[in-house]
Amino acid sequence: MADAGNGGEGRREGPGSPPGVASENPEEQIIRAILDAFPDAVTEFEKVKDGLVRAKLERRDLLKACTMLRDQLGFEHLSMISAVEYDSRFDIVYHIYSYQKRVLLELITQTPKDDPSVDSVSAVWRGANWQEREAFDLMGVKFNNHPKLERILLPKDYLYHPLRKDFKG
Amino acid sequence: MAEMWINMGPQHPMTHGLWNLRIKVDGETIVDAEPEIGYLHRGIEKLCEDRTYTQIIPITDRLCYGASLSWSHLYCLTIEDLMGLEVPERAEYIRVAALEMQRIASHLMWLAAYAADLGAMIGFIYSMRDREVFIDLLQALTGSRLTYNFPRIGGVAHDVPPDWERDSFRACDYMERRLREYEDLYEGSKVFMMRNEGVGVLKKQDAMNLGVTGPSLRGSGVRYDIRKDTPYSVYPEMDFEAATHPDGDCYSRYRVRMDEMYQSCRIIRQAISKMPKGRWRILAPRNAPTATGVGRVEDPRGEGVMYVVGDGTDRPYRLKIRSPIFVTVSAAPKMLVGYKVADVVAIMGGLDMCIGETDR
Repeated sequence: MADAGNGGEGRREGPGSPPGVASENPEEQIIRAILDAFPDAVTEFEKVKDGLVRAKLERRDLLKACTMLRDQLGFEHLSMISAVEYDSRFDIVYHIYSYQKRVLLELITQTPKDDPSVDSVSAVWRGANWQEREAFDLMGVKFNNHPKLERILLPKDYLYHPLRKDFKG
Repeated sequence: MAEMWINMGPQHPMTHGLWNLRIKVDGETIVDAEPEIGYLHRGIEKLCEDRTYTQIIPITDRLCYGASLSWSHLYCLTIEDLMGLEVPERAEYIRVAALEMQRIASHLMWLAAYAADLGAMIGFIYSMRDREVFIDLLQALTGSRLTYNFPRIGGVAHDVPPDWERDSFRACDYMERRLREYEDLYEGSKVFMMRNEGVGVLKKQDAMNLGVTGPSLRGSGVRYDIRKDTPYSVYPEMDFEAATHPDGDCYSRYRVRMDEMYQSCRIIRQAISKMPKGRWRILAPRNAPTATGVGRVEDPRGEGVMYVVGDGTDRPYRLKIRSPIFVTVSAAPKMLVGYKVADVVAIMGGLDMCIGETDR
């Protein structure tokens, strides 16, 4: 695992890039690595600005992609999981951060409304556990193979998922 | 000995807010733990979907009563990212000075509660008294003591009041003197050190994987501070260090917060002396574009993130708030298991719990 404790200021460019090759910035490296590994599953990708990459991923490859992001690209920190409801789908947005590359990756995966479920990433980042429970509690998205998918903020016998747009307080 | 579950909370001197810690004990040793939250859930994310962008600022203040300014600042930062606004430079310097005052006030409130938890009642009185110095400065700047409603989308509400610079410098000098006194008081106390050193160890790897951020992460030896590593506002102009301590125990987390208060004093002095003349606010558009915005800041308690989805109207389609303590408290079992029941107070106190932002 990468050591974030060595953070000198002069380590902006990608570490270990061979001499002579025009060094890519970390954002482009990440985009290329994801595209190489999952050519079919990545539907959209862009460098939004310095330090922020956005990618859209098919939900079937989510768990594999997340494992690769952690083990090979050094994304050690799952910052936030947000569920956003649209007319016919839910977007699950993962904000994942690499302490070493200092890049925030916004990974978006979509799930249809009649089957709102994605694979749980809490085996990859244990910090995802409660955030997935929160998304389940408030938005009603199911996370497959989650160790304990129960309501967390609302009472256990509550009937609704209040962040959905059809819930009027 | 038979194992059993014990509820510490929701009404318990240790909890500092309304939450419940269930611990499974074997004699005096903790074998399992399970925090339960949700007692203070107000549905802030849902509330925000029904308010205009400006109306949300005072709501975000209510996320954490201990550090409300950093939350309303994070909100404004996120909306500025969504709308693509450039904030006047003077406003950024005012924000940074105010944010660091808020950080000191928040850490002092943590220190007060922590000292009282560990039996040093005098620490509570001292810290709360010295916190007033910074609360007074923020009151002079913003008009209120705890929930400020001060940052605006595109700047801040007011310019600094007369003599605020002078008073701030005095407050920083005073605070640094007092911090040295606190260090003597606590670190010279055998009881305080025995209850802190080697208690609640969180290893570096675990801390990163569990999503722990802020002083608790730096207390595990990870030198990562968002102000330093992905800087926002005018933090790149400031000369300061990200405080770390390698051991990962309660003493480390205490030490990191103490060092951060020294660094905050440094930042306040620089922000005030470098503050340029000029405007402190621009007018923001009423409607946001159909786009998304992300803001990340170093809250006194860890990494605060907001993700906003705009749909072209004057209200956010979705506003997601990442609370640092929500994730940190989910890592509590990792720190608690293997220690004694009496250590729970030190371990959970050392995390600086704030239930307002945890439950939202």
